[in-house]
Amino acid sequence: MNGAAHPSRPARRHLGATLWLLLGIALPAFPAPLDEPLKPLPAAPDLDPKRVELGRRLFNEPRLSKDGSRSCASCHRFDHGGADAQAKSQGINGQLTLVNTPSVFNAALNFRQFWDARADTLEAQIEQVVQSPIEMGNTWPELLRTLGDDPGYRQSFAELYPDALTAANVKDALASYERTLLSSGSRFDQYLQGNTEILSLDEKYGYQRFKDYGCIACHQGVNIGGNMLQKFGVMGDYFAARGNPTQADLGRFLITGDEQDRNVFKVPSLRNVAITAPYFHDGSAQTLEQAVEVMFKYQLGRTPSPEDTGLIVKFLKTLTGQWQDKPL
Amino acid sequence: MKRPRLPVTLFTLLILGLVLALAFLYLKTVIGQTADYARSRDLIGHIKQLNAQWETEVLKSRIALTHDYDPLVLPVQQINRLWSRFDQLSQQPHNDPEAWQASHQAFLAAFQEKADLVERFKSHNSVLRNSLAFLPTAEDDIQSRLAGLDDAQRLSQQNIAIDTYDLLLSSLEFAQVSSEDKAADILVGLNKLAVNKERLPEAMHEPVEILSNHVSVILREQPVVNQLLEKITSIPVAQRLDEINALLNRDQLQADLQDQKSHQYLLLFSTLLVLLILYLVIHLVRSYGVIRRVNTALQSANEHLEQRVEERTHELKEAQSELLHAARQAGMAEIATNVLHNVGNVLNSVNISSELLSRTLRSSKAQGLGKAMQLINQHPGDLGQFLTEDDKGKLLPGYLNQLVEAIASEQQGMSEELAQLGRSVDHIKEIVATQQSYAGASRLIEPLQVNELIDDALRMNSGALVRHQVRVVKDYAEVPAVLGDKHRMLLILINLISNAKYAMSNLDEQSRTLTIRARVLEGRTLRIQVQDQGEGIAAENLERIFAHGFTTRKEGHGFGLHSCALAAMEMDGQLSVHSDGPGLGATFTLDIPLIDPENPTWTH
Repeated sequence: MNGAAHPSRPARRHLGATLWLLLGIALPAFPAPLDEPLKPLPAAPDLDPKRVELGRRLFNEPRLSKDGSRSCASCHRFDHGGADAQAKSQGINGQLTLVNTPSVFNAALNFRQFWDARADTLEAQIEQVVQSPIEMGNTWPELLRTLGDDPGYRQSFAELYPDALTAANVKDALASYERTLLSSGSRFDQYLQGNTEILSLDEKYGYQRFKDYGCIACHQGVNIGGNMLQKFGVMGDYFAARGNPTQADLGRFLITGDEQDRNVFKVPSLRNVAITAPYFHDGSAQTLEQAVEVMFKYQLGRTPSPEDTGLIVKFLKTLTGQWQDKPL
Repeated sequence: MKRPRLPVTLFTLLILGLVLALAFLYLKTVIGQTADYARSRDLIGHIKQLNAQWETEVLKSRIALTHDYDPLVLPVQQINRLWSRFDQLSQQPHNDPEAWQASHQAFLAAFQEKADLVERFKSHNSVLRNSLAFLPTAEDDIQSRLAGLDDAQRLSQQNIAIDTYDLLLSSLEFAQVSSEDKAADILVGLNKLAVNKERLPEAMHEPVEILSNHVSVILREQPVVNQLLEKITSIPVAQRLDEINALLNRDQLQADLQDQKSHQYLLLFSTLLVLLILYLVIHLVRSYGVIRRVNTALQSANEHLEQRVEERTHELKEAQSELLHAARQAGMAEIATNVLHNVGNVLNSVNISSELLSRTLRSSKAQGLGKAMQLINQHPGDLGQFLTEDDKGKLLPGYLNQLVEAIASEQQGMSEELAQLGRSVDHIKEIVATQQSYAGASRLIEPLQVNELIDDALRMNSGALVRHQVRVVKDYAEVPAVLGDKHRMLLILINLISNAKYAMSNLDEQSRTLTIRARVLEGRTLRIQVQDQGEGIAAENLERIFAHGFTTRKEGHGFGLHSCALAAMEMDGQLSVHSDGPGLGATFTLDIPLIDPENPTWTH
């Protein structure tokens, strides 16, 4: 879908360059994008704005949950970087989720969804959340009836989808909306796009440390993470140290039953990490410093200097992006 | 008519069948899977390409050419997308569904396995990369710390530095060639490092441990990564795709064969259809020829017919004129008969008149005159005396007076009778003249008083009427004088009256009533009706009654009414009959155009 929207852009630039050459004026110095293991966010995909708007309404619709108490936005709060400030979030009937809520921002760029990467697509993720007895506790027939009773939704679905209101279309609308939730314009992305002035020296050092210490081994790519699985506790037993092991700590093992997948989780994206505390699947780290320390100890098997930790934290704070031209 | 219907139905059915077969074959070739094959093959080719790209990216990650795993994720997502499209295309039935299903499953299994392995590779490779990248730094850290020790210690730690360096080297070598020997070397190095650690000050323990941890990670992860790579490259995703391709090719080959067959059938059926149409066209042309021929024949037959009709008309005309002639002859004969008959009738009156006259003459009072004269003659001298003295003589003048009166009345009666006789003779003359008029077809048109004419006719029949005691009812309206042929009129009337009289001959004498009416219809037509109460006419005879030779009477010759009808026609009139049936009497009606004698508009 993106592919179709893009080709015109280089063509236009090419035309511009030709124009400059024809005029005999030197080309202005365009900042060249940096070739780094981290990549800036792509532009938002070109989706049907009406479907996206319908998805936005559904995203904020508490009637998605069985008791009408929780919408997607209840946990994925835009004032908290697309997550909430809780270690575990509240579902229906006062239940708490088993793992920490990840941010909905840039979730479309994750290679899979959920901490244990059990959903291949956003649609599959929505499917599970809607029917999860803890989160929304709803069923599709019931939800479709609820939405069908609302003339606004009935009309919108009838307008936008040939087969009107169906479970697949509800998921499509929601996923369409979520695909537009990209927090572009972070300072670090601007840096990657060639604006090297935008980062302070400390932040650049922080990025340097981030790479040197090996964080980059897992947190890489366009989403700075979110594209692979990793065992939590490569260089030490994190769960023994933390205590109170839970079922959810088993991670992907619960999905595959493979011993190799014990404590294996999806590597989370570090975008907007500064505003999405607490951290890890269990929400055990309250601050970035704590999280960085845990990572160093159990993932990297290193002991950083406090100075380096501070630099890395400074770097991580440059990953906070914007939503609708406002910093998150 | 019956013969050509069967082939027409047969042809229609045949053509319909052929057209349907052609449509079916055409649709089959049009909706053919060729396009789908091409697209399916495209998709499979693309997937194969992505698979190769995926593998390349894995290798690039393995040798640390790339530092992010996005290139390892994208092919999977793209392959999934392409596969779902391919799957949609593959919904149509296949020649070998089981093999098809199996190849699908085999690919999906291989792909899933490979994806899982790639995931594991990513996890392990990142850990390995991290440790490998860190190793020199960790070693540097130890060496720098060792360098920071005082000279005496440094000398004793010389070996430790060398051992650590060796370990680093063998670890890096192991990363390149993961042989058992190198692994053993590393294990030895690790043990040495553990032993050496005890000889080092406390502050040195941590970096040494970190180094040894990372070396252990390398020792652990390197073979895992190598194994994973081996497995990844050995997973036959590409082969599975080739198998699917082969199936696709086989399907297409089959489809092509079928297509070819369909085309052959198409050709065959088209040819048949064309032949059939050609045949029909020929047939049509031939039928057209036949139609034209028949048309021509018909036309010529028509012309011939016209000619024949003309001939026949001519013949008919001749026959008619012959017939007319014959009729005229017959008519003349009839009229002769009629005339004789009428003359006979009139002669009857003449006879009666003459008899009456002769009887009157025979018994005439004139003889008394003779006797009186004898008496007178016997007394030639004494006539006066005789007349005055003689008894007889005295009566004589009175007798003579009476005689004069009687003779006068006798004379009167005889002169009347003579007038009647004269009229009868006149009538005979007229009858003869009528006959002459027929013979010469001449018409004598004169003003006629219709009522008088009817009376004449009645009078001419009066003898018979009186004999048969027929009561005659005269019902005449005011009829103006008309121009007409008196003889024909009389002929018709006499005949009709005579007929009526005969018709009533079987009735008892009281009820023999003959009614004669004269009317003018709408000022244009004179209508005379002769109605009797006689035996009537059967319906089947009504039409034939005017025919020549038709009669119901034993002694009848069948000319009377026929000649009447002819006479009526010759006067531009019409004679018709009406009877309610046998025993119910009959009414003959003569209609002739009323021609005003003052202002005759002769249309004939």
